[in-house]
Amino acid sequence: MTLRDFTDLPLDDLDRDGALRQAADELERTSRAGFLATVAGGVATAAALVRSPAAAAALAKSDVAILNYALTLEYLQDAFYTEAERKGALEGPAAELAQVVGAVERAHVKALRDVLGKQAVKRPFFDFRGVTEDPAPFTRTAVAFEDLGTAAYKGQAHRIKSPEVLAAAVGIHSVEARHAAWIRYIAGAPPAAEPFDAAKSVNETLQLVRATRFIVVRPRTRSRRRPRYTG
Amino acid sequence: MRRPRTRRFLLSATVATVAAGASLAALAATGGRGAPSVSLGATGAPGQGLAPPADPAFRVQQPRPLQASRFESTWAAVRQATPVRAGPRRAAPLVGRVEPRTPEGTTNIVLALDRAEDARGSLWIRVRIPALPNNTTGWVPRSTLGGYGVVSTRLVVDLSDRRLTLLRRGKAIFRAAVGVGTEQFPTPTGDFYVRNKLTRYRNAFYGPLAFGTSARSETLTDWPDGGFVGIHGTNQPALIPGQVSHGCIRLRNEAILRLARLLPIGTPLRIRA
Repeated sequence: MTLRDFTDLPLDDLDRDGALRQAADELERTSRAGFLATVAGGVATAAALVRSPAAAAALAKSDVAILNYALTLEYLQDAFYTEAERKGALEGPAAELAQVVGAVERAHVKALRDVLGKQAVKRPFFDFRGVTEDPAPFTRTAVAFEDLGTAAYKGQAHRIKSPEVLAAAVGIHSVEARHAAWIRYIAGAPPAAEPFDAAKSVNETLQLVRATRFIVVRPRTRSRRRPRYTG
Repeated sequence: MRRPRTRRFLLSATVATVAAGASLAALAATGGRGAPSVSLGATGAPGQGLAPPADPAFRVQQPRPLQASRFESTWAAVRQATPVRAGPRRAAPLVGRVEPRTPEGTTNIVLALDRAEDARGSLWIRVRIPALPNNTTGWVPRSTLGGYGVVSTRLVVDLSDRRLTLLRRGKAIFRAAVGVGTEQFPTPTGDFYVRNKLTRYRNAFYGPLAFGTSARSETLTDWPDGGFVGIHGTNQPALIPGQVSHGCIRLRNEAILRLARLLPIGTPLRIRA
């Protein structure tokens, strides 16, 4: 099951907040620069550095870009399950999944934000268009999100420079795969349908996420216009 | 019908578990990466000489349950102009209309209070709207609203005490004296919300910063842009606290600037007599 299975939304409706584009551009930029040039001074052992305030600064630029890409997808999952739990429209196994997986995705966001520090991308604004308030579309979307998250992590594994960052990413990746199996079971789909899971590239991931139109421009609630309140 | 399949599944699962357990026991006997206790021939033990796992660059802390509380409120952007109805169905009487933009040009927002499905299974949201009579609520289709925002703050203005209090998760985090409407042009009472923030407009009368609210003057109904009540600074701080305004809530400039750092858009506002 993919995002395309539940949506007929046009792919040309862009990621209007630009959050995913920003993450993808950064990945593209660092992959070009990073593979051609050696990072000056080498990549220090991240495990020793993550506890210091300069943790993200010590990571290779391409690793920062990959972690930010992961963070953007984690933001999406975090917001999705958290909103579903807040709305309280789900019941039974789906409600339990939203509660448990939502807490895990929030923990993933926190871990990534902590390691990235000031280099962490901002949280986008989401509009789930009622999907978090309706059990059937919620379940279909959750299946697609978890499958996508698993494939997206895998798609960047070979580009991670630091073995320690790779170890952490793989630790999250397998958890996403467990989530995928769980929600697939709830949805009545085979939890482990294939003997081999393919990775997804950044562009494939972006295209699928854009198709949902879940990432939107943050409402503009600030203005410089002169007030005309009653005074 | 499902029993034989279940039994087969359990049997095969048991066999697999026993086999896996035996393999792990054999591996354990080798000490993981130490010398094998059994000879596997000239090629050595599988995995021998491989590196131990890398320490992860970071770890994920124990997940925490959502701290959703009764202090949280939800707002939503108005995506398109839409009629607001008395009930969650298209045939319900009209109670108002909401537009996607405020008179100040910002995205219009509404407070989301409740949800319901109509007979067709379409989702409706009960919203508080910026309309006269004040305190109006009604229903709009979910599809006419944008994404949700959540705040855990609440603003209370006490007209008789002439005090404003900002609460976060139920605890007061900011208090200030305010100027409120005169007897001729009273500040309306009831439940409203903060819907935008205006800055850098260079008009000393409103001070350095102004918040727009969903409250409207019930006496100045022909005021430009609808007579909305703002929360703003002033160029006459000596008049605060007092009954001095046309309905707006005035703060001293240093107070409005402090409030601006704490008050998120979408915060519910209660004005009480």
